[in-house]
Amino acid sequence: MPEEKSTLELSPLSMGGPGPLYRQIVEAIRREVASGRMPAGSSMPSFRALAAQLAVSLITVKRAYEELERDGIILRHQGLGTFVAPGGALRSRTERCNVALEALRSAIRAGREAGLEDRELLEILQRELADSPRPVKSHDGGQR
Amino acid sequence: MSAAVELKELCKSFGQDFSLGPLSLTVPRGAIYALIGPNGAGKTTTLNLLMGAGRPQSGAIELLGLPLASGEAAIKRRIGFVSPDLDYRAWRTVGTAIDFVRGFYPDWVHSRTERLQVLLDVHRDQRIAELSFGQRTKLALILALSHECELLILDEPTIGLDPVSKRAIFLELMRFMEDESHTIVISSHQLSDIERIADHVALLNRGKLLAASRIDQLLARYRLVELSTSEAARPRIRGAMVLEQHEDRNRVLLDLSANTPESLREQGVQILASTDLTLEELFLALIRTDETRRPWRPR
Repeated sequence: MPEEKSTLELSPLSMGGPGPLYRQIVEAIRREVASGRMPAGSSMPSFRALAAQLAVSLITVKRAYEELERDGIILRHQGLGTFVAPGGALRSRTERCNVALEALRSAIRAGREAGLEDRELLEILQRELADSPRPVKSHDGGQR
Repeated sequence: MSAAVELKELCKSFGQDFSLGPLSLTVPRGAIYALIGPNGAGKTTTLNLLMGAGRPQSGAIELLGLPLASGEAAIKRRIGFVSPDLDYRAWRTVGTAIDFVRGFYPDWVHSRTERLQVLLDVHRDQRIAELSFGQRTKLALILALSHECELLILDEPTIGLDPVSKRAIFLELMRFMEDESHTIVISSHQLSDIERIADHVALLNRGKLLAASRIDQLLARYRLVELSTSEAARPRIRGAMVLEQHEDRNRVLLDLSANTPESLREQGVQILASTDLTLEELFLALIRTDETRRPWRPR
């Protein structure tokens, strides 16, 4: 069966990026799915195709897919390939993103009403981002 | 399906100076398998033995399911080999070398040769004697990838290459790996690249195998742990190998299959810090612990 070509395009990964490579893949795919660029039912690249695209080992891609499957972001059908899953986890992710977006918009409105320049707003946002580091999951079990 | 490479109790020695093995390894098909180790560990010796260069004193080699001894020419047609020791100067120009090597392979894909020449910037009219070290490696890669091989054996394929060429070559290797029956065995000192693209790793030191494992499993097995020096006075902690001793703290490689930070804490050991290792850090730590176990002898 000819496999439908996947439209997934991820930006290059960096060994210097945040977290292990498989995590970076998981986050990147979650972003693609949450943004709507990869709607439910879209076909995901095979392990090997994605490994080749990102120049990472198969093990790294497999591990990322396993995690995405466990979280209900993608579905694997034996013989058919891997697809973006419909429903729950995704929708909630998208909704959470929309909530965040709405909160940011209202912050911008409030800032402008207070007479802040865009540059100052940006600086505040950057400072706040820097001051609230992302929660890092404990890896103390030896899991990478 | 048979393994891509199967080594059983392979032994090879060169006088008193160096002996390899007994080395047993299985390289599954579809994997990128890295051989790593310090200079003189036996990586090149192992790869050369795979290519039938030199006979092992004992042991058996199977490639793609066939004993190497059964018919080297037939097996070698299915293998691509890249090594700094290959010398194509006798053909004088790149073009002559390509045309000559091409004659050996009925399944040569010339469009691929041409694409790789453009990609790696190697031209037919270049004189081989005037190629840089890196360009010779590129030529060897072009020759290896231009026929339909199933197994690529690469001895230090990125020495002397600039980052741009290196990236182009890695992408080409990943492209080769899109066919799931394809396998790569690669030796390299570029451990961050290896950590990124390889699935399995075998660590050699002074001709002996220290570890052979899936990379993620190997990395998950160890942690770097810092203990306060007072802990060092305790009886030896199982699975812990001291790497560095400082005034107030000791840095220890902890084998999690013997002991975990949690189990140490339960035993009342005070842990100051604990972190994952990169492949390069683990490599250094395992070589170091292996060296300290060895009786010192002048070289």
